[in-house]
Amino acid sequence: MPDESILSDGFVRELMTVGDVDIVVGVPTYNDARSVGQVVQAVRAGLLKHFPRERSVIINADGGSRDGTQDLVRAAAISDLSVASDVHALRTLHSISTQYEGGPANGIAIHTILAATDLLQARTCAIVSPESTTLEPEWMERLLRPVLRDGNDLVLPIYRRPKFDGLLIRNLVFPMANVLYGCSVREPYPSDFAFSGELGSQFLGQDIWNQEQGRRGTELWMTLWAALGKRKLVQSFLGAKTRREDAPSDLVAAMRETAGTLFTSLDAYTSVWHSTPEAIETPCIGCEPAISDGPSRLNRKRLYDMFTFGVKELDPVFLSILTTPTHDELKRLAGVPEEKFSFSGELWARTVYEFAIAFHKAVIGRDHIVQALVPLFRGRAHTFLTQNRDASVEEMDRNLESLCKAFEQEKPHLIDLWDGGK
Amino acid sequence: MAAQDGLWYKDAVIYQVHVRAFYDSSGDGNGDFRGLAQKLDYLQELGVNTIWLMPFFPSPLRDDGYDIADYRTVNPTYGTLDDFKAFLEAAHQRGIRVIIEMVLNHTSDQHPWFQESRSSRSNPRRDWYVWSDTDTKYKGTRLIFLDTELSNWAWDPVSKQYYWHRFFSHQPDLNYDNPQVREEMWDIMKFWLQMGVDAFRLDAVPYLVEREGTNCENLPETHEVIKDLRARMDREFPGRMLLAEANQWPADLRAYFGNGDEFNMAFHFPLMPRMFMGLKLEDRKPITEILKQTPEIPENCQWCLFLRNHDELTLEMVTDMERDYMYDEYAKDKAMRLNLGIRRRLAPLLDNDRRRIELMNGLLMSLPGTPIIYYGDEIGMGDNVNLGDRHGVRTPMQWEGGWNGGFSPADPETLYSPLMLNPVYGFQAINVQSQKRFEHSLLSWMKRLIRVRKATPVLGRGSIQFLYPANHRVLAYFRKLGNETILAVNNLSSKAQAVELDLKEYRGSILVEMFGRNIFPRIGDLPYLLTLGPYQFFWFRLRRI
Amino acid sequence: MWQNFIGELARTMNDIVQSFARFLPRVLEMLLLVVVGWIIAYVLRAIVKSVLRIARFDKWSEHTGAAQVLRRSALPSPTEMLSRFVFWVAWLGFILVGISVLPVPWLGPHISNFFGFIPRLVVAFFILFFGLLAASFFSRAVLLGGVNADLPSPRLISQTLRTMMILFVISMAFEVVGIGSHTVLIAFALAFGALMLGLALAFGLGGKDLARKYLERRFARQDFPEQGSKEREDELSPL
Repeated sequence: MPDESILSDGFVRELMTVGDVDIVVGVPTYNDARSVGQVVQAVRAGLLKHFPRERSVIINADGGSRDGTQDLVRAAAISDLSVASDVHALRTLHSISTQYEGGPANGIAIHTILAATDLLQARTCAIVSPESTTLEPEWMERLLRPVLRDGNDLVLPIYRRPKFDGLLIRNLVFPMANVLYGCSVREPYPSDFAFSGELGSQFLGQDIWNQEQGRRGTELWMTLWAALGKRKLVQSFLGAKTRREDAPSDLVAAMRETAGTLFTSLDAYTSVWHSTPEAIETPCIGCEPAISDGPSRLNRKRLYDMFTFGVKELDPVFLSILTTPTHDELKRLAGVPEEKFSFSGELWARTVYEFAIAFHKAVIGRDHIVQALVPLFRGRAHTFLTQNRDASVEEMDRNLESLCKAFEQEKPHLIDLWDGGK
Repeated sequence: MAAQDGLWYKDAVIYQVHVRAFYDSSGDGNGDFRGLAQKLDYLQELGVNTIWLMPFFPSPLRDDGYDIADYRTVNPTYGTLDDFKAFLEAAHQRGIRVIIEMVLNHTSDQHPWFQESRSSRSNPRRDWYVWSDTDTKYKGTRLIFLDTELSNWAWDPVSKQYYWHRFFSHQPDLNYDNPQVREEMWDIMKFWLQMGVDAFRLDAVPYLVEREGTNCENLPETHEVIKDLRARMDREFPGRMLLAEANQWPADLRAYFGNGDEFNMAFHFPLMPRMFMGLKLEDRKPITEILKQTPEIPENCQWCLFLRNHDELTLEMVTDMERDYMYDEYAKDKAMRLNLGIRRRLAPLLDNDRRRIELMNGLLMSLPGTPIIYYGDEIGMGDNVNLGDRHGVRTPMQWEGGWNGGFSPADPETLYSPLMLNPVYGFQAINVQSQKRFEHSLLSWMKRLIRVRKATPVLGRGSIQFLYPANHRVLAYFRKLGNETILAVNNLSSKAQAVELDLKEYRGSILVEMFGRNIFPRIGDLPYLLTLGPYQFFWFRLRRI
Repeated sequence: MWQNFIGELARTMNDIVQSFARFLPRVLEMLLLVVVGWIIAYVLRAIVKSVLRIARFDKWSEHTGAAQVLRRSALPSPTEMLSRFVFWVAWLGFILVGISVLPVPWLGPHISNFFGFIPRLVVAFFILFFGLLAASFFSRAVLLGGVNADLPSPRLISQTLRTMMILFVISMAFEVVGIGSHTVLIAFALAFGALMLGLALAFGLGGKDLARKYLERRFARQDFPEQGSKEREDELSPL
């Protein structure tokens, strides 16, 4: 049963007027007035072009914006009440918005959208990021058709991304998900994705909404849950994805959403990763090269400096998290000059696993454990950039495979520590 | 007939009937005027107060009578002119007015005029039709009968010239640039008006006049012709009515009302497919949008509304996307599609769903305009797509479950058209006699609906004001006339709906449901909550006590 | 005369024996209380030890840093220390009750004071324990936050914060217990005030460039477009 109490009375009334639909497009927002208007217009154009006969609604779950975000979303509605424009639509398109409590938190927004999708008995739901300014109308077709017409449960995106985008995904999330769960999707933490109404209702019934995974990292949790639950997953190539120029990257928040979620998942899926998991099939629709070449303006020296600084300053914290050999090796690495610096895949894998164990045992506050991983990740990012600076797309893929192999090699270490501590 | 009312057509409930299809008194397999006269009691009991007769003139019947070979008499198959007069008299005695067809645009190629015109280029009637040496004149003019005609010009082997025809090639267009043609057509109309006919439905009016460099539709000269006819009619026969058949967008239709000095009524063609579309989409948007685009018309004019008629359900006045949608939803079998339309009756279009049939009739009777009921739709007759052209919706009227459905005493093989026989729509299942016996039959319900409609002048003469509740599946509007206000609320959806209506303007009024006359809660400050079952509709009278 | 002396002596001896006879049962009562008290204190110690083990008190003490301090001083674990403390307090209590049985009037008020002191001691202990826990947590949070925000000297800030919090907690504990409370509190206030003044001077004069850079990095990009930022570096794009 969906938790209707997260839906305000006003929003329930709006849902009542929308009635049952075929398609829900959910947009979680927080102060996204700069980009959401463009995104929502592209969504609308996509729905009108590719699904003109389907009953659709755009649902915005907002975390308390003060910049007019909600009004921009509502303006996308098409009804007989609005003044005639050059938009011609066969049927009414509702575009409604609600503010959820406890925000901003993407997980709560997704919870709200899932509850609404369930109440409206939608056949499919797509979630799009309000920052996806490269979103084209065709994305709607590529996300929704595999569910609506081909009967898939979850559609994950593949983007054409700049070479050094998504470093945390490529160095942490992808290898861990691949090795421990057999899940080799390119974007395990999607910002634009789609799922069937049935899958959404089942996910809604999961007991995660009062926990951390219900607030952040929910998309990653959903991917893992669906993959391990043997649902029908596909990946659909969408197009280019570029980050907003002015968006600051909050590495700590990103680490919480990814590492925090992954570490938590180890408890839930112990039996899966303890054995050798089956590779999960995720065919790709319309695939094109997913990495676009191009120079990087990332400051590698800064990454190195922050790594060495972090190792030095957080020494007492690392002592309580890491085993002595790993701790010593990191200390040694922090003393290596930048030209010779190389944070190997094996050491990185071992470090990540030991952090996972510390998280599992809660040797110190779990959030502190996740935060402590950030400077170490910077070191790993430095090595990644060095390795792949002049690498072709194929070489980058091979490097990624090597990293996965390193995670595979260190897996017995994870299992030993996990079982030894129990 | 009682004194002619000025605007009687605003209060009319029209019944469209084909003489040939209604009742055969002579036993020759075709309906006739004597038979029709015998069924006037049925029509009076149904509650209609106007009959629109489809063409009954002598004709080779290659276009079901719209190819006329003689304008001043009756096709012998249907009886004599005296039979017609007797029928007219009997109708008037029952307070029923009669509208007849007047096909101005073209005649049959069997009409003596055309026979003379084509006989030689110097014949006095040569100029009564539109002739040309080439078939390149008036290029760009669209084809109307797309499925059968390839050109608007046909070669006449007799006079070795092309003649212009907007419809079938056996229906040559008359030349309205010739004053003699205009005089003759007026004369013909006068002939019938003197007999007592109350109104004419002028068929295919947009195409009367052609001009090079135009699309040959809705030209100013065409309007002049009509205005002239109307002026003469008003002068010599006040209180009669002209009804335009012009399948055009509302803005183009507006011109046919002139300043109240052209047509009295015109069919609102674009609304009709949108009612069906709104029903399938479960969304009022197509309906409200077309009515928003509908211009105001002069006080003495009226729209004519209909659900179905003798032609295909026309999809000319919709976009390509809308047409594809309608085809996919209502005419999955390609055999049902004809000439940018769908050749099906009302009940089969609505899957024989009693609730939907009631809802559509409720809309027909409450939207602004004069409603027309196509014969047989009041009992839910079906169609036979296999009969070719549009004959599938013109099958014999089903009166009873016995011999020939009570239509004719003749042998079934001699009937002008086969009867409907299948277990769902066949005459044993659907007929007047069985439905008359039951209070809850469709026929009984239609009688009640018409009775309420006739008792409510607001519905015929009032203005319309749409409410736009947030629930797009509900179509709600006020009809107002003077102090009288009616609220119509229609659920276009197959599922129960709740709707909140902003009725603040009428705070304090009590809603009285018009069929059962029960009172509903008084309107207060809060939005008025109504719940409706699938396809349900309410008519409320707003009362202040 | 000699008989008077003997008689007096006999009377005095009799008095002493009588006093002794009156006093001895009380002593026996006292000894009994002491023995029973020892048994009860021992049982209490065992119960407290078990409860603390189940509550993983040692682990929590690791978080406060107290366990490390004890280890370095070659003292037993916090659980052991606390259970022993409970034992001694309980037994001391019974001993005092036993002494109160003896007819020594001037001891009474001191014994009452002791029993009045115990609840405050317990409260002070809780304040100390949770205060140390909080100090440890917040100082670590500040350390991690400082490192990830690339602030200079995060460890110094963290340690300073930890020290200030510990001093604050100790002064609160002393105040509750009532030992030199004003002195400690004033000392804490002076130290804290001095630290704040020092920081204000440091930031205001010495660290203003750093503060500006930090604030710009954190907030200015969103509000004021940077001028001449052609050669700006990219930020790491983790997701």
